Amino acid sequence: MSFSPAGWRRGFLRAQPLAVGVFGYAVAFGLLASEAGLSVLEAALMSATVYSGSAQVATVGGLAAGAGILASVVTVLMLNARYLLYGASLRPWLSQSTPGQAYASLYFLGDGNWLLSMNARNAGEQDAGFVFGSGIAMFLPWVVGTLLGSVAGSWLGRPELLALDFLLVAFCAAMATDLFKSRGDLWTVAVALAVALGVERLAPSGWTIVATGLAGIVAGYFRHEERA
Amino acid sequence: MTLRLELLPLIFALALASFACRAGGFWIMRFVRMTPRIQSALRAAPLAVMVGIVAPAAARGHPPELLGIAVTAAVMRLTGSDLGAALAGVATVALGRALLRG
Repeated sequence: MSFSPAGWRRGFLRAQPLAVGVFGYAVAFGLLASEAGLSVLEAALMSATVYSGSAQVATVGGLAAGAGILASVVTVLMLNARYLLYGASLRPWLSQSTPGQAYASLYFLGDGNWLLSMNARNAGEQDAGFVFGSGIAMFLPWVVGTLLGSVAGSWLGRPELLALDFLLVAFCAAMATDLFKSRGDLWTVAVALAVALGVERLAPSGWTIVATGLAGIVAGYFRHEERA
Repeated sequence: MTLRLELLPLIFALALASFACRAGGFWIMRFVRMTPRIQSALRAAPLAVMVGIVAPAAARGHPPELLGIAVTAAVMRLTGSDLGAALAGVATVALGRALLRG
Protein backbone atom coordinates (compact mmCIF):
# COMPACT_ATOMS: atom_id res chain seq x y z
CA MET A 1 0.00 0.00 0.00
CA SER A 2 1.63 3.22 -1.09
CA PHE A 3 2.22 6.74 0.10
CA SER A 4 3.59 8.25 -3.07
CA PRO A 5 4.19 11.69 -4.58
CA ALA A 6 1.58 10.77 -7.20
CA GLY A 7 -0.90 10.31 -4.34
CA TRP A 8 0.08 13.64 -2.73
CA ARG A 9 -0.42 15.30 -6.08
CA ARG A 10 -3.89 13.85 -6.61
CA GLY A 11 -4.92 14.94 -3.12
CA PHE A 12 -3.37 18.38 -3.51
CA LEU A 13 -5.17 19.06 -6.81
CA ARG A 14 -8.49 17.64 -5.64
CA ALA A 15 -8.48 19.97 -2.60
CA GLN A 16 -7.84 23.17 -4.56
CA PRO A 17 -11.50 24.30 -4.72
CA LEU A 18 -11.74 24.02 -0.93
CA ALA A 19 -8.38 25.75 -0.53
CA VAL A 20 -9.99 28.91 -1.94
CA GLY A 21 -12.49 28.89 0.90
CA VAL A 22 -9.76 28.21 3.46
CA PHE A 23 -7.83 31.19 2.12
CA GLY A 24 -10.80 33.54 2.53
CA TYR A 25 -11.43 32.29 6.04
CA ALA A 26 -7.71 32.67 6.87
CA VAL A 27 -7.68 36.29 5.74
CA ALA A 28 -10.67 36.93 7.98
CA PHE A 29 -8.84 35.28 10.89
CA GLY A 30 -5.75 37.44 10.18
CA LEU A 31 -7.93 40.55 10.40
CA LEU A 32 -9.48 39.37 13.63
CA ALA A 33 -6.09 38.50 15.13
CA SER A 34 -4.67 41.92 14.34
CA GLU A 35 -7.73 43.55 15.88
CA ALA A 36 -7.16 41.43 19.00
CA GLY A 37 -3.60 42.75 19.20
CA LEU A 38 -1.65 39.77 17.87
CA SER A 39 1.40 40.62 15.77
CA VAL A 40 1.76 39.22 12.25
CA LEU A 41 4.31 36.68 13.45
CA GLU A 42 2.17 35.60 16.39
CA ALA A 43 -0.91 35.13 14.21
CA ALA A 44 1.05 33.16 11.60
CA LEU A 45 2.70 30.98 14.25
CA MET A 46 -0.71 30.23 15.72
CA SER A 47 -2.13 29.27 12.33
CA ALA A 48 0.84 27.03 11.55
CA THR A 49 0.73 25.16 14.86
CA VAL A 50 -2.85 25.20 16.19
CA TYR A 51 -4.25 25.02 12.63
CA SER A 52 -7.94 25.11 13.44
CA GLY A 53 -10.18 27.94 12.30
CA SER A 54 -12.96 27.67 14.86
CA ALA A 55 -10.53 27.05 17.75
CA GLN A 56 -8.31 29.99 16.79
CA VAL A 57 -11.21 32.40 16.38
CA ALA A 58 -12.54 31.34 19.78
CA THR A 59 -9.21 31.55 21.61
CA VAL A 60 -8.19 34.86 20.04
CA GLY A 61 -11.54 36.26 21.12
CA GLY A 62 -10.98 34.84 24.59
CA LEU A 63 -7.44 36.20 24.69
CA ALA A 64 -8.70 39.70 24.00
CA ALA A 65 -11.17 39.21 26.84
CA GLY A 66 -8.39 38.04 29.17
CA ALA A 67 -8.91 34.26 29.16
CA GLY A 68 -6.13 32.14 30.67
CA ILE A 69 -4.17 29.19 29.24
CA LEU A 70 -6.39 26.54 30.82
CA ALA A 71 -9.65 28.02 29.50
CA SER A 72 -8.07 28.39 26.07
CA VAL A 73 -6.83 24.80 26.04
CA VAL A 74 -10.26 23.48 27.05
CA THR A 75 -11.83 25.54 24.25
CA VAL A 76 -9.43 24.03 21.72
CA LEU A 77 -10.08 20.48 23.00
CA MET A 78 -13.84 20.98 22.76
CA LEU A 79 -13.83 22.53 19.32
CA ASN A 80 -11.37 19.96 17.96
CA ALA A 81 -12.86 16.82 19.55
CA ARG A 82 -14.27 15.91 16.13
CA TYR A 83 -10.71 15.19 14.98
CA LEU A 84 -10.74 12.15 17.28
CA LEU A 85 -13.41 10.69 15.01
CA TYR A 86 -11.59 11.71 11.85
CA GLY A 87 -8.36 10.09 13.03
CA ALA A 88 -10.14 6.92 14.14
CA SER A 89 -11.85 6.54 10.77
CA LEU A 90 -8.52 6.96 8.97
CA ARG A 91 -6.94 4.12 10.97
CA PRO A 92 -7.55 1.32 8.43
CA TRP A 93 -6.02 3.42 5.66
CA LEU A 94 -3.15 5.32 7.31
CA SER A 95 -1.96 2.39 9.42
CA GLN A 96 -0.69 0.85 6.19
CA SER A 97 1.84 3.69 5.95
CA THR A 98 4.78 4.27 8.29
CA PRO A 99 3.97 5.99 11.63
CA GLY A 100 5.94 9.03 10.44
CA GLN A 101 3.82 9.33 7.31
CA ALA A 102 0.62 8.72 9.27
CA TYR A 103 1.26 11.30 11.99
CA ALA A 104 2.55 13.85 9.47
CA SER A 105 -0.73 13.42 7.56
CA LEU A 106 -2.67 13.83 10.81
CA TYR A 107 -0.84 17.07 11.64
CA PHE A 108 -2.23 18.59 8.44
CA LEU A 109 -5.71 17.06 8.81
CA GLY A 110 -8.70 19.40 8.41
CA ASP A 111 -12.47 19.04 7.94
CA GLY A 112 -12.39 19.49 4.19
CA ASN A 113 -9.47 17.24 3.38
CA TRP A 114 -10.74 14.49 5.67
CA LEU A 115 -14.10 14.49 3.88
CA LEU A 116 -12.41 14.57 0.47
CA SER A 117 -10.12 11.72 1.51
CA MET A 118 -12.93 9.50 2.80
CA ASN A 119 -14.83 10.19 -0.43
CA ALA A 120 -11.79 9.37 -2.55
CA ARG A 121 -11.24 6.20 -0.55
CA ASN A 122 -14.84 5.15 -1.23
CA ALA A 123 -14.26 5.82 -4.92
CA GLY A 124 -11.27 3.47 -4.94
CA GLU A 125 -8.29 5.67 -4.04
CA GLN A 126 -5.61 3.44 -2.52
CA ASP A 127 -2.68 5.81 -2.04
CA ALA A 128 -2.59 7.21 1.53
CA GLY A 129 -0.51 10.09 0.16
CA PHE A 130 -3.87 11.55 -0.90
CA VAL A 131 -4.59 12.43 2.75
CA PHE A 132 -1.22 14.17 3.11
CA GLY A 133 -1.43 16.05 -0.21
CA SER A 134 -4.97 17.30 0.36
CA GLY A 135 -3.96 18.33 3.90
CA ILE A 136 -1.03 20.40 2.62
CA ALA A 137 -3.36 21.97 0.05
CA MET A 138 -5.53 23.30 2.91
CA PHE A 139 -2.69 24.13 5.30
CA LEU A 140 -0.72 26.43 2.98
CA PRO A 141 -3.57 28.85 2.21
CA TRP A 142 -4.46 28.87 5.91
CA VAL A 143 -1.01 30.14 6.90
CA VAL A 144 -0.51 32.43 3.88
CA GLY A 145 -4.04 33.84 4.24
CA THR A 146 -3.46 34.55 7.94
CA LEU A 147 -0.27 36.44 7.05
CA LEU A 148 -1.99 38.49 4.35
CA GLY A 149 -5.05 39.25 6.46
CA SER A 150 -2.89 40.26 9.35
CA VAL A 151 -0.60 42.45 7.23
CA ALA A 152 -2.93 44.00 4.72
CA GLY A 153 -5.84 44.89 6.95
CA SER A 154 -9.09 45.00 5.11
CA TRP A 155 -8.32 44.58 1.42
CA LEU A 156 -10.93 41.87 1.15
CA GLY A 157 -13.40 44.08 2.98
CA ARG A 158 -16.23 41.98 4.29
CA PRO A 159 -15.47 38.38 3.33
CA GLU A 160 -18.99 37.24 4.13
CA LEU A 161 -20.23 39.11 1.05
CA LEU A 162 -18.28 36.68 -1.16
CA ALA A 163 -20.03 33.86 0.72
CA LEU A 164 -16.73 31.94 1.02
CA ASP A 165 -17.79 30.91 4.51
CA PHE A 166 -20.55 28.92 2.81
CA LEU A 167 -18.14 26.89 0.65
CA LEU A 168 -17.60 24.08 3.15
CA VAL A 169 -21.34 23.80 3.78
CA ALA A 170 -22.00 23.68 0.04
CA PHE A 171 -19.33 21.05 -0.53
CA CYS A 172 -20.76 18.93 2.24
CA ALA A 173 -24.24 19.24 0.80
CA ALA A 174 -22.94 18.18 -2.61
CA MET A 175 -20.92 15.23 -1.35
CA ALA A 176 -23.71 14.11 0.98
CA THR A 177 -26.14 14.19 -1.95
CA ASP A 178 -23.71 12.00 -3.87
CA LEU A 179 -23.04 9.53 -1.04
CA PHE A 180 -26.73 9.33 -0.26
CA LYS A 181 -27.55 8.47 -3.85
CA SER A 182 -24.97 5.72 -4.12
CA ARG A 183 -25.66 4.01 -0.81
CA GLY A 184 -29.23 4.88 0.00
CA ASP A 185 -28.18 5.58 3.56
CA LEU A 186 -31.50 7.02 4.66
CA TRP A 187 -31.04 5.56 8.14
CA THR A 188 -27.70 7.32 8.78
CA VAL A 189 -28.98 10.62 7.42
CA ALA A 190 -32.18 10.49 9.47
CA VAL A 191 -30.30 9.77 12.71
CA ALA A 192 -27.64 12.40 11.95
CA LEU A 193 -30.21 15.03 11.05
CA ALA A 194 -32.22 14.48 14.22
CA VAL A 195 -29.10 14.68 16.39
CA ALA A 196 -27.65 17.69 14.53
CA LEU A 197 -30.82 19.74 14.87
CA GLY A 198 -31.31 18.69 18.48
CA VAL A 199 -27.77 19.48 19.62
CA GLU A 200 -27.65 22.72 17.65
CA ARG A 201 -30.65 23.90 19.67
CA LEU A 202 -29.28 22.86 23.04
CA ALA A 203 -25.49 23.23 22.98
CA PRO A 204 -22.73 25.41 21.52
CA SER A 205 -21.95 24.61 17.91
CA GLY A 206 -18.55 23.02 18.64
CA TRP A 207 -20.40 19.94 19.82
CA THR A 208 -22.81 19.54 16.93
CA ILE A 209 -20.29 17.88 14.62
CA VAL A 210 -18.97 15.61 17.37
CA ALA A 211 -22.44 14.46 18.42
CA THR A 212 -23.57 13.99 14.83
CA GLY A 213 -20.47 12.00 13.91
CA LEU A 214 -20.91 9.76 16.96
CA ALA A 215 -24.57 9.26 16.13
CA GLY A 216 -23.56 8.25 12.60
CA ILE A 217 -21.03 5.75 13.95
CA VAL A 218 -23.65 4.16 16.20
CA ALA A 219 -26.14 4.12 13.32
CA GLY A 220 -23.56 2.47 11.05
CA TYR A 221 -22.73 -0.10 13.72
CA PHE A 222 -26.33 -1.21 14.02
CA ARG A 223 -27.05 -1.06 10.33
CA HIS A 224 -24.31 -3.59 9.77
CA GLU A 225 -25.84 -5.80 12.44
CA GLU A 226 -29.18 -5.66 10.65
CA ARG A 227 -27.65 -6.76 7.38
CA ALA A 228 -25.37 -9.44 8.80
CA MET B 1 7.34 41.84 13.34
CA THR B 2 7.27 41.11 17.02
CA LEU B 3 6.91 37.90 18.94
CA ARG B 4 6.10 38.25 22.61
CA LEU B 5 7.89 35.49 24.53
CA GLU B 6 5.16 35.36 27.16
CA LEU B 7 2.70 34.27 24.44
CA LEU B 8 4.77 31.26 23.39
CA PRO B 9 3.67 28.91 26.22
CA LEU B 10 0.04 29.68 25.35
CA ILE B 11 0.48 29.03 21.63
CA PHE B 12 2.48 25.89 22.38
CA ALA B 13 -0.23 24.57 24.75
CA LEU B 14 -2.94 25.24 22.16
CA ALA B 15 -0.88 23.53 19.45
CA LEU B 16 -0.40 20.49 21.69
CA ALA B 17 -4.14 20.29 22.46
CA SER B 18 -4.92 20.55 18.76
CA PHE B 19 -2.49 17.82 17.74
CA ALA B 20 -3.67 15.56 20.57
CA CYS B 21 -7.14 15.64 18.98
CA ARG B 22 -5.78 15.03 15.48
CA ALA B 23 -3.53 12.11 16.47
CA GLY B 24 -5.54 10.70 19.42
CA GLY B 25 -8.36 8.97 17.55
CA PHE B 26 -5.95 7.35 15.13
CA TRP B 27 -3.73 6.18 17.99
CA ILE B 28 -6.58 4.76 20.09
CA MET B 29 -7.75 2.59 17.20
CA ARG B 30 -4.46 0.66 17.50
CA PHE B 31 -6.09 -1.10 20.40
CA VAL B 32 -9.43 -1.80 18.74
CA ARG B 33 -9.76 -4.87 16.57
CA MET B 34 -11.15 -3.97 13.13
CA THR B 35 -14.27 -6.02 12.59
CA PRO B 36 -16.64 -5.54 9.63
CA ARG B 37 -19.09 -4.00 12.06
CA ILE B 38 -16.57 -1.44 13.34
CA GLN B 39 -15.67 -0.65 9.74
CA SER B 40 -19.31 -0.15 8.87
CA ALA B 41 -19.61 2.17 11.87
CA LEU B 42 -16.58 4.27 10.86
CA ARG B 43 -17.73 4.41 7.24
CA ALA B 44 -20.98 6.03 8.33
CA ALA B 45 -19.11 8.89 10.07
CA PRO B 46 -18.42 11.10 7.00
CA LEU B 47 -22.05 11.23 5.85
CA ALA B 48 -23.19 11.98 9.40
CA VAL B 49 -20.58 14.73 9.79
CA MET B 50 -21.62 16.27 6.47
CA VAL B 51 -25.20 16.35 7.73
CA GLY B 52 -23.84 17.86 10.97
CA ILE B 53 -22.18 20.66 9.01
CA VAL B 54 -25.10 21.36 6.67
CA ALA B 55 -27.97 21.06 9.16
CA PRO B 56 -27.01 23.96 11.47
CA ALA B 57 -26.62 26.27 8.46
CA ALA B 58 -30.10 25.22 7.34
CA ALA B 59 -31.54 25.45 10.85
CA ARG B 60 -30.61 29.13 11.16
CA GLY B 61 -33.24 29.59 8.47
CA HIS B 62 -31.71 32.44 6.45
CA PRO B 63 -33.23 32.33 2.94
CA PRO B 64 -29.92 32.65 0.99
CA GLU B 65 -28.40 29.66 2.79
CA LEU B 66 -31.54 27.54 2.49
CA LEU B 67 -31.75 28.29 -1.22
CA GLY B 68 -28.00 27.69 -1.56
CA ILE B 69 -28.30 24.19 -0.07
CA ALA B 70 -31.25 23.37 -2.33
CA VAL B 71 -29.40 24.62 -5.42
CA THR B 72 -26.28 22.65 -4.44
CA ALA B 73 -28.22 19.39 -4.03
CA ALA B 74 -30.11 19.96 -7.28
CA VAL B 75 -26.98 20.75 -9.34
CA MET B 76 -25.26 17.74 -7.80
CA ARG B 77 -28.10 15.47 -8.85
CA LEU B 78 -28.18 16.93 -12.36
CA THR B 79 -24.45 17.18 -13.13
CA GLY B 80 -22.71 14.82 -10.71
CA SER B 81 -19.96 17.40 -10.18
CA ASP B 82 -19.44 18.31 -6.53
CA LEU B 83 -17.23 21.28 -7.45
CA GLY B 84 -19.83 22.68 -9.84
CA ALA B 85 -22.59 22.10 -7.32
CA ALA B 86 -20.67 23.77 -4.47
CA LEU B 87 -19.79 26.80 -6.60
CA ALA B 88 -23.41 27.11 -7.73
CA GLY B 89 -24.43 27.03 -4.07
CA VAL B 90 -21.88 29.68 -3.08
CA ALA B 91 -22.91 31.91 -5.99
CA THR B 92 -26.55 31.56 -4.92
CA VAL B 93 -25.71 32.59 -1.35
CA ALA B 94 -23.53 35.52 -2.46
CA LEU B 95 -26.29 36.75 -4.76
CA GLY B 96 -28.97 36.23 -2.14
CA ARG B 97 -27.02 38.15 0.51
CA ALA B 98 -26.32 40.99 -1.91
CA LEU B 99 -30.02 41.26 -2.84
CA LEU B 100 -31.20 41.12 0.78
CA ARG B 101 -28.74 43.84 1.76
CA GLY B 102 -29.34 45.96 -1.31
